[in-house]
Order: sequence, then structure tokens, then C-alpha cells
Amino acid sequence: MFLLQNVFEPMKRLLVRHILAATILAMSLSCSEEQDFDQFDDLSITPTVASSLLYLESDEEFINDASVATTFYSQTFNFDAFSEQFVAERLLEGTIFYELENTTSKRLNIAIEFLDEAGNVLDTEIFNIDPEPTPTQSIAIVYGSGGKSLDILTTTSALRVIGSNLGDSTSVSNQQDPKVIVRSAAEFLFRLK
Amino acid sequence: MRLGRIFILTTIFGVTSLWSQNKQLLYDFYEIPQSLMVNPGVKTSEKWHTGIPFISGLAFQVGTSGVTVNDLFANDGVDFTTKVRERLIDGMRRKDDFSTTSQIEGFNIGFRGKNRPDDYYSFGIYGETDIIVYWPKDLAILAFEGNGGDNIGRSFDLGDLSLRGEMVNVFHFGINRKMSNTLTVGARAKVYSSIFQFQSTKNSGSFRTTQGQDNIFNTSIVADMQLQTSGVEGIVDILEEDTSTTQKDLTSLFAKRVLLGGNLGLGFDAGFSYKLNPQTTITGSVLDVGFIYNSKDVKNYTLRGNASNEGITVILPEDITSLGNDLWQDLIDDIEESVPYEENDSGYISFRPVKAYGSIRYDFGQDEGSNKDCACPVNISSGQNDDFYRNSVGGQLFMMKRPRGVQAALTGFYQKRLGRTMSLKATYTADKYSLTNIGLGLNLQAGPVNFYILGDNLLGYRNIADSHYASLQFGFNIISWNDN
Repeated sequence: MFLLQNVFEPMKRLLVRHILAATILAMSLSCSEEQDFDQFDDLSITPTVASSLLYLESDEEFINDASVATTFYSQTFNFDAFSEQFVAERLLEGTIFYELENTTSKRLNIAIEFLDEAGNVLDTEIFNIDPEPTPTQSIAIVYGSGGKSLDILTTTSALRVIGSNLGDSTSVSNQQDPKVIVRSAAEFLFRLK
Repeated sequence: MRLGRIFILTTIFGVTSLWSQNKQLLYDFYEIPQSLMVNPGVKTSEKWHTGIPFISGLAFQVGTSGVTVNDLFANDGVDFTTKVRERLIDGMRRKDDFSTTSQIEGFNIGFRGKNRPDDYYSFGIYGETDIIVYWPKDLAILAFEGNGGDNIGRSFDLGDLSLRGEMVNVFHFGINRKMSNTLTVGARAKVYSSIFQFQSTKNSGSFRTTQGQDNIFNTSIVADMQLQTSGVEGIVDILEEDTSTTQKDLTSLFAKRVLLGGNLGLGFDAGFSYKLNPQTTITGSVLDVGFIYNSKDVKNYTLRGNASNEGITVILPEDITSLGNDLWQDLIDDIEESVPYEENDSGYISFRPVKAYGSIRYDFGQDEGSNKDCACPVNISSGQNDDFYRNSVGGQLFMMKRPRGVQAALTGFYQKRLGRTMSLKATYTADKYSLTNIGLGLNLQAGPVNFYILGDNLLGYRNIADSHYASLQFGFNIISWNDN
């Protein structure tokens, strides 16, 4: 008992005098500028994501040998990249870039159809490409503000690519290794927050 | 939204700089029994001491080497996104970090050997939480800006991800021996009982989008990344379970792991004090040389491999029959196969963050009539106190092993002993993050009761939200100085 008294009395003195004094001193000296943590709600994170989409290449011989008169290639791909929930909910705007290169001797038509889940055509990009010599065409299709509807992208479930020969099926280009090349890529602006 | 805010605020508040574990005020403050915890070879004066359970030693350190709370959240009218971009995304470097350290002593007891009065034994338990997250600069830029636009051609360093954290309970027993009138040495054995641990510190790799060779863009990833965790899965499982026993289950899990029921490890501290002459003393210590073997409740996550793609590629006529309709999914599958994300439960060893101190102290202002019971060094052989000096001045060096190398801090200090009951220590600490860290420590002795409080970076309290660092340690002890 005596020991406890010996211990707690000084402790009480310490608590009352020194700690209280130190606390009051610290509180009176410490301060902070006004903070507004609600600013976090205003944070805007909008990264631009870039990726290639499709590279299609065909040599002239394949075009000439096509069994169907004008259509040398037609293929439908499942393509849910745009309509994935994460993408569809956050997509603000986007641009799809196309580069078209033709060194064959014939005029070609490339059509890219955007299809929804039921197979309905949402939109079509049609590119007519002159026979060689012709420069590489670069085309940018904008979606979102000032461009086509974003819904085209966010509901696209498949792409159909159709290549048509608008020329003859016998001529051969003088170019070395003649072919048609379709390049495509996308840059999308997302809102992460 | 709420979670995001909590994450950001927790990250900014709950962190301290690289030198956060530096206890420069406590080091060699031998009037405080807890100074044994930072140098087992410190000069000891007590006959015995016992800390008041759970309030004998509490230490909290919070800060950041980069952006401060005020930098982002000051009500200054600047657009918040602009502040984040300029001060966080552009302003912070990959060496900047957020971290937090806290220690709570369960109990701490010391006593002088009856048969070997030159030996001072101490033992106890304390809990420690230590988390450090380096600023993942490139990953933050990737998330904020993306890989497109101006970042085409930029290589994002996946090695920027570096973090480490643990909560551990430490059982320790130490011996402090006065070898001669000039030399005191000490060592402390430690058993670590881990509550949780995680680390992801040796990541490498890059993510890059460039002009493509065939198509418009080429995107490549080379990754060798790993996150090792132990004890985390069990806690997350309890938090995620939809029952009314969450708190009870958590308490039970923590209690079990605190009392050696989790992953275990071993370690030691060692230190010395040596008097070059009656007024000059050098000291040194090395702490937490140890490891924990993590074998229970382990979950590791890896991402290793490399891949490169330029989108769906169709080359005719070769691919006319070989390709199906799921080219995009096939492409994703190929990438995932080349850079697989995997989980495993392989055990691993985690090393404790080793710390080292060194100091030189010059005592002056000798007090007359020092042969009294006091909080001053006892010369056991003569039964009298050593010379008692009212003042000390000196310098200290602190070094700590961190995931990205050794971090050092240099401290100058002045200590003033006011009579027998009060001692003050002022420090100035400099390192690469701060040149204005001034600390003040107070030790009070009222009868057998000892109280100490040590506050760091006091200038930061002028605007605590703008402080890179805040630290507070305090505690109560009961000390017996001699038979009287």
C-alpha cells in the first residue's frame, strides 16, 4: 500500500502539472492551415490508352485468285474490347486511326462494319483505295465530342472486314511484292475518376 | 469514391519518411530505461525498473518525404487535379516514400543481477507496425496519363512498385554488462511473432508503346514482379465474411498471432558505450538483425514474362483458313499466357529492417556532490555515482536498411540536466529530406516515477498539415536507483 502510494502520488503530480502543461503548450503552439478534404471529389483522372487493333495484309495473287467475283476477303471477328463493362462505363471519347497502303494494280474497297451482339450493323467505315501508284492514306475517325456516337463503340460486339476488288483479276502490279495493307489503331480517353 | 478517398488520405497521413524509425532523441538518453531498446550497451544506472504496462513506451511517427497533406488539401482555390498533377505526379520522385512506424510496449522490466551487479537484465514485449510505400512514379503517370498521346515511346518502369510492411510482436531479453569503468556492452535476443507481413521490393520490367513495325503501334511488356504476403489472407477473409462475429474473430486471430501462434522469427540487437576519457563517450548499436520465416497463411502473387503485340494480325493467304472468329480473345489469351498472373503459397523469409546508431558525446559542467541517489550513472564497484555532468553535447549517426538502400541521418544534440529530476535533450537532425528537423525531449523523475516525452520536428507544428514528418514518443516507468 505504501509502495502504491509512493508510486501514484508522484505520478499524479506529473500528470497534473507537467503533462497538462505540456499538452496545453503543444496545443497552443501547434496549428494548421485550413484543409478541405472534399477537394478529393474534384479529382479528375483521364488517361489516354493507345493500342493497335487490326493489321490486314493481302498479296495481289490472293486477290486475283478469289473465287467470288469482287469480294476477296470477308471475315467477322468477335470483338468485345470496346463493350467490356470497364471500358464502356468509362469511355469519354476515342479516335480510331486507319492507314491504307495499296501497291497492287487494282482499285480496292475495304469496308469495316461494327456489329452489335445481335449481328446488326451499327456503323460502317468504307475506304476506297486507288491502284498503285498511290500514297498511303491516313484516316482518323473521331468518336465522342464532335464525332460519331460513342454508342457505336460501346455496343460493338464484332467487326466484319470485307475486302473487295473493284478492278480486274488478272493484272499484276509492277511493284515488288504487291499487296494491300490495312493498319488500324485506337486512342481512347477514359475517365478513371 | 469513399474507398478511394480513404486510400489517398491513409497513404498521405499514415506514412512517415525514410528516417522515420530514427529515435535520435531516445538514443543515449540513458536516464530513460527505454534507451536500452536502441542501444543494449547504453550506460545503465538503475537497480531495477518496470514500465507501466502499455504506457511505458509509445512511439508514433508519421510523415512523408514528398508531398504533404497541405500541398494537396490546403483550401487555396487551386484546382485539385492541377495540384495532384503538379505536386504528386510531376513533383514526387521514385525515391520518395510514404511510410508509418508505431511501437507500443506491452511491458518492459529490468533488474540488476544480485550475484553480478555489473549486469543489468531487461526483458519485455512490444508490438511494432512498419509500412513503407515508395512512390510508384511511372505507374502513377501511366494511370494518370495513359500510354497514348505524348507517352507513345515512353518506357514505364514496373520496378517503381516497391512496398513493404509488417505488424510484429517482439519478445526480447537483453543483458547489459559493465565490463570496466570505460566499457559497457550489451546484447538483446528477440523472438518475432508476426501478425502480418507483405513485401514487393524486387520488381523489374517495363511497359512500352512505340510506333509499330507492321501496325501503327507496338505494345510490349517485360515483367518480373512479385507480391509476397503472409497473414494477410486470414485477416481479409474475416473482414469479408458477412457475419456478426467479425470483431471477435479478428481479436481471436490477433491474440493467437501475438502470442507466437503465427509466423516466427529470430533476431538480435547489440551495442556498446566506451569512454575515451572521463568526459568523452562513444557509442554504437545495431538493431533488429533478424528474420521471420513466413510459412503460415502465405499468399504470393506473381506476374512474370514478356509479350509484344500489334493487335490482330491477318496475313493472306496464309491465315485464310487458320484463323477463327475469336482473334481478339486469342490475342488476349496469348498475352496472358506469355505474362501469366499467378498465385502460390510458397513460404519465404523476410528480413527485419536493420538499423544502426553511432554517437560521440562530450560531457561538461561537473556537478559538485554527486554521491547521491539519482538518475545518474552508478559505479557499482565503488557504490558511488560517476561524475555527474550537467551538460552533454555530441553527434549521432543513424542508418537503416530500406528496400532501396541505406538511409542515413545525422544528428547534433545538446542535453541539459536540471538538478536530479529533470533532463532535457534538444536535437537537430539533417538528412536528404529535411534540414529543419528540431526535436526536444523531456525526462522527469518524481520519486520512483519516471515520465518521458520526446517530440520531433517541432517546427513542423507551425502548420502540422504541411509537415513532412511528425513523431512522438512517451512513457511511464517506475525506477529504483539503489537499495535506499
